[in-house]
Amino acid sequence: MGRLGRVLPVSMLAFIVYIVFTGAITVYDVVTGILVSFVIGLVTADITVSNPLKPFDVRRWIYLIFYTLYYFLVAEVRSHIDVIKRILSPRMPINPGIVKIPVRVKSDYSITAVANSITNTPGTVVVEFDESGKYFYVHWIDVKRIDEEGAYKEISHIFEKYVSKVFD
Amino acid sequence: MSSTLRNIVVIVTLTLMVVGLAVVLTVGGFGFSLPPHNVRALATIFLNTTLNLDANYRYVSAMSPEAVTAIVWDYRGLDTLFETSVMFIAIVGALAISRGATEKLLKTSPPVLGMSLITKTITRITIVMILAVGASIALHGHLTPGGGFQGGATIAVVPMLLIIIFSIYLFSKMITIYKAVTLRSVGLIGIALSSFIVLIIAALYGGSAYIFQNQPKLHSHYGLPSYAEPILLGGTLLFFNVFETLAVAFGFAALFILFTIPEDAVKSAIMGEE
Repeated sequence: MGRLGRVLPVSMLAFIVYIVFTGAITVYDVVTGILVSFVIGLVTADITVSNPLKPFDVRRWIYLIFYTLYYFLVAEVRSHIDVIKRILSPRMPINPGIVKIPVRVKSDYSITAVANSITNTPGTVVVEFDESGKYFYVHWIDVKRIDEEGAYKEISHIFEKYVSKVFD
Repeated sequence: MSSTLRNIVVIVTLTLMVVGLAVVLTVGGFGFSLPPHNVRALATIFLNTTLNLDANYRYVSAMSPEAVTAIVWDYRGLDTLFETSVMFIAIVGALAISRGATEKLLKTSPPVLGMSLITKTITRITIVMILAVGASIALHGHLTPGGGFQGGATIAVVPMLLIIIFSIYLFSKMITIYKAVTLRSVGLIGIALSSFIVLIIAALYGGSAYIFQNQPKLHSHYGLPSYAEPILLGGTLLFFNVFETLAVAFGFAALFILFTIPEDAVKSAIMGEE
C-alpha cells in the first residue's frame, strides 16, 4: 500500500473529474486522462489522503451513499419546509441566536463534513470552529436549546452519527 | 433638497443605463446589427479551412476543429509567440526587480498558519479537481474552446489556494521559486522546439520546411500526425498547448510565491548593498 495506495484514490477522483469535465470518452480522452490523473495523484497524494486504507473500505462507501440519501431526501427537505414556513408566516416566528455545540468526530474530513452538513441545511450556519476546544459556534434561526448538550442533540447528533462511520 | 436632487439624478441615470443596455442587447440579438456579407466571408473561409479532410484543402487546412486555436497557434503562430513572450518578459522583469528574494529568507513561521480546518480540508479535495479541469482544458485546446493559456491559468489557481489557505510558509516547502522558474523555462523551451519540430523532422529526412509549420504545405510535404481515425491529434497545436500550460502555470506559481513573501523578510536582500 503505502504511497501507491494514497496515489490511487486521488488519481481516480482526478480521472472522473477529467472525463466528466471533458464530456467525452474517446480513446484520446481515456489515454490522456490516465496519464494526467497519475501525475495529479503523485503531486497531491500527500496533501489529500492521510490514511490510504480508508478510501478502499467498502463499508464506508455504503454508509456514505446511505448518508447522502438521508441528508438530501430527509434532513434537507425537513429544514427547507421549516424555513419556508417561517418566511411565509406573517408573524415571522424567528428566534435567532448563536449556540456553542461540541464536536465529537475526530478526523479532519469528518469535522468538515459535519460543518458543511450543518451549514447546508437552511436555518443553521456554522460561523466559527474552535480548533483547540473542538466546538462549533452555530447560528440558528430558531434557538430551541442553549445548553451545549441539548443543542448538540438538536443540530448535529444525527449528522455526526453517520459521518463518523464514513470518515472516522 | 440637494440629496433629493441627487437621488433623482441617480434614478434617472440608472434607468437610462438599463433601458439603453436592454435596447442594444435586444436589437443586436435579433440580428439587426450583423456584420455585412463581405465581412462574414472571412469567417466562412476559416470555418472551411481549419478542419477539412478534403484532398483539395490538404495544404491549407490546420486540421483542428477549434478555429480559434487553429488561427492562434497555426495561421498566426509567430504572432502568438511574441504575444506569449510579452507575458514572460513581464515575469522576468518581476524576478529581476526582486532578485535576491527567495523563500529561504523565511525563517520563523508564525504559530497559527492559514485559514480554518474546514477551509483547508475542502481545499485538499478541490485542488485535485482544479488540476484535472485545467489539464482537460489544456489537452483539449485543439478540439474545444480552451488551450494552453486557459489551462495554465486554471492550474495556477492551485498555488494561489495553497498559499492563501495553507500559508506561504508551507507552500514554499513544496515548491521553491527556483524550481517553478526552471519548470517554466522547460515550458518555454518546449514552445520554441515545437515551432521548429517540423523543420527538424524535414531536415532529418533531407528535406526542408517552414518555421512554425504544422501541417504539410504545398512546397514542404512534412507535417505532424494530425488525424488517426477517429482521433484528432492536432499536430503541433497539442505540443504548443501542453508547453504553454507548463510555462503559464509555473510562471504564475513563481510570481505568487515571490509576491506573498513578507516584505520585512526580503527587504534587505532586495535592497542589496549600498
